[in-house]
Amino acid sequence: MTDELDFKASSRCSIGVEIELQILNARDYNLARDAADLLALLEKQALPGAIKPEITESMIELNTSVHQSYAGLAAELEVVRTAVAEAARRLNVRIAGGGSHPFHLWSERRIYPTERFQHLLKVYGYLAKQFTVFGQHVHLGCADGDEALYLTHALARYVPHFIALSASSPFQQAEDTAYQSSRLNTVSAFPLSGQVPFVLEWREFVAYFRKMRRYGVVESMKDFYWDIRPKPEYGTVEIRVFDTPLTVERAARIAAYAQSIASYLVSERPVAPSSEVYLLYNYNRFQACRYGLQATVVDVDGGASVVLRDQILQTLRTVRGHAQRLGNVEALEALTSDVEAGYSDADWLRSKYKALGSMNDVAREQSTLWMGS
Amino acid sequence: MPELSFLPHFPVATHPLLLFGLLLIAGVAGGEFAHRLLRLPRITGYVLTGMLFGPGGLGLLTEDLLAQSWIFVDIALGLVLFEVGRRLHLRWLIEERYLLATGMLESALSFAAVYGALLYFDVHPLHAAVAAAIGVSSSPAVVMLVSREMRAEGQLTERALHLVAINSVVAFTLTTMFLSWMHREYRADWGTVILHPLYMLFGSLVLGYIACAFALLLARWLGKSAERQVVMLLGVVVFTIGAAHMFKLSVLLALLVLGLMVRNLDTRHYVMSVDMGRIGQLFFVVLFVVTGARLALPQLAAGGLLGLVFILARFVGKSLGVLILTPFSGVRPGTAGLLCIALTPMSGLALALVQETTHVYPAFGAELAAIMMSAVMVLELIGPLAVQLALKLSHESHDEEAP
Repeated sequence: MTDELDFKASSRCSIGVEIELQILNARDYNLARDAADLLALLEKQALPGAIKPEITESMIELNTSVHQSYAGLAAELEVVRTAVAEAARRLNVRIAGGGSHPFHLWSERRIYPTERFQHLLKVYGYLAKQFTVFGQHVHLGCADGDEALYLTHALARYVPHFIALSASSPFQQAEDTAYQSSRLNTVSAFPLSGQVPFVLEWREFVAYFRKMRRYGVVESMKDFYWDIRPKPEYGTVEIRVFDTPLTVERAARIAAYAQSIASYLVSERPVAPSSEVYLLYNYNRFQACRYGLQATVVDVDGGASVVLRDQILQTLRTVRGHAQRLGNVEALEALTSDVEAGYSDADWLRSKYKALGSMNDVAREQSTLWMGS
Repeated sequence: MPELSFLPHFPVATHPLLLFGLLLIAGVAGGEFAHRLLRLPRITGYVLTGMLFGPGGLGLLTEDLLAQSWIFVDIALGLVLFEVGRRLHLRWLIEERYLLATGMLESALSFAAVYGALLYFDVHPLHAAVAAAIGVSSSPAVVMLVSREMRAEGQLTERALHLVAINSVVAFTLTTMFLSWMHREYRADWGTVILHPLYMLFGSLVLGYIACAFALLLARWLGKSAERQVVMLLGVVVFTIGAAHMFKLSVLLALLVLGLMVRNLDTRHYVMSVDMGRIGQLFFVVLFVVTGARLALPQLAAGGLLGLVFILARFVGKSLGVLILTPFSGVRPGTAGLLCIALTPMSGLALALVQETTHVYPAFGAELAAIMMSAVMVLELIGPLAVQLALKLSHESHDEEAP
């Protein structure tokens, strides 16, 4: 199919987000299996965007419609959040944000009964069940395929920022992992994870994809689990390294940060695309996962070691003009004060565990925060 | 030649503990046989074991031994009701009001259906009322334990457990009332008819509340340690069972209330969501083996047609109630039908009630007892199967997917 790879032009730097959420039972706050019932109940109402099943029966995914700025995105997410929380209450289940469930055992997960998900279980075995982690994907609109590839490569240097700002998966299988975001370690286990090949023109990318398909390595773009990938059928670049933040407000703010950076990159073209970025990519990515805002990363341009938190604050200042033009100032100011205060969702979760003493309590607090009560 | 007086004298007298151990082993083995060979719920295996070895079968489990096992049976029932109570979410019952309404309606309709049917067959009205009241309850033990065994989770499981809890409370209240009424027919006055159920209801409520306050205080002091909290909760459960007996209150109600309050009044979340099931397993096996031992095949025939009428009327009444109101609640189509099936099992408590009643009032006796016993027997055997079937069809059980 050629059409899958036709890059559908979309309004430059428009945004849309996908948020994967946890469904918990209201008894011990372990992951529940009520996705189908919840979706059936939500189908009865007219909501903006879409709500979809995900790989296990303990997840649902919210997809927003396309927005030009933070205000519209945040407002829509709030409407959907209210509706989802209300439906969950009717079914006596809880909904939570966060990149991982603190204590569920992956061996107990069940794959959602659709053909694609059953196929993934067959191919990947236990990895499919371990993939019960929860991420936020941000889509950024691009005018054409070449622009999308430029943006994909230029955004690579900001991946540690995205990881540190959204990090909310300190716990896995009832253990403190010592990571701020442990979720990305799960993603890295997949053979087709990693980064897009270093090509700059869309026709080169199409040639690459066709070759991989001819080899039988992939069937569609969906099979690539890259951190950032062009999404031709939406006409977007999709950033996939975010943990699902604990609240939809934070999810919208982080999306606004990504949008402001994209606008800065695409309109000013401040950096020339270079494969040099990928020399340091995995090191910096690891640092961000492990230490979050406190991470020490190597600056891609000068090679100096810098604290990630300072780099983010610097970037927030750099993109301020674009944020202003997009209507994102409010969101970025809120993020700035969070970063200055050293706040992260991962630390919030750890503080709850310390105060309350059990992982069940952490999961409950997570759901109370997301649902509002 | 030294005197060998330290040796046992032959033939040795069987120690009750030896028999009790055998009862446990036989129960576990029976459960495994049922599960592995016949793919039946283990509970059905326990019941069949009881029937096989009980007084109605091979007679290895003597009346004496059965009487001695009451303490385990009581703890088993107490634990089950405590667990069911802990599953109940009051806020959900208030917000999802159709669930509460469904529970009340299916209780009312199953009572009406059984009462009407028995009257039609010329059963004494008061006796029919007692039988109908007993029939309102679904077995908390069977629904809870089968769903545990299958590790079922989802809307059907949760809703079935909530409905069971509601109809158990209704059944208990009605039964107490009609039994007091029967009291009056024989000797007591009207005051007893009103006061006895009131005493039982409020007394059990107060007992549950006091025990709950005690548990919360202890949990707060003990801190978040699963090991300590499990033992503490078991202690509070057993204590409450004893207190209920001492004050002639209802073990069923007091423990249900205790579980419910521990879950719903613990706003600071002192009590951990610990799993009492593994401790409980020992007691649950004894419970169902003993229940099985109380059953005997001849009873099946004795109840005859009326036993069947009882079962059918009860099923129709319950199903009507569930089918009328469930579509209004937020579940997928199909769940209502499965709920009807899941409410089939009748409480082993019914058995105790019938036996107690026939003991106190021989007049209640022959005919009605026979009806009830045959109904209980059938439901005791098909009940676990029905719950298993419903959970399988709903895909809420956990063991069907190949790893």
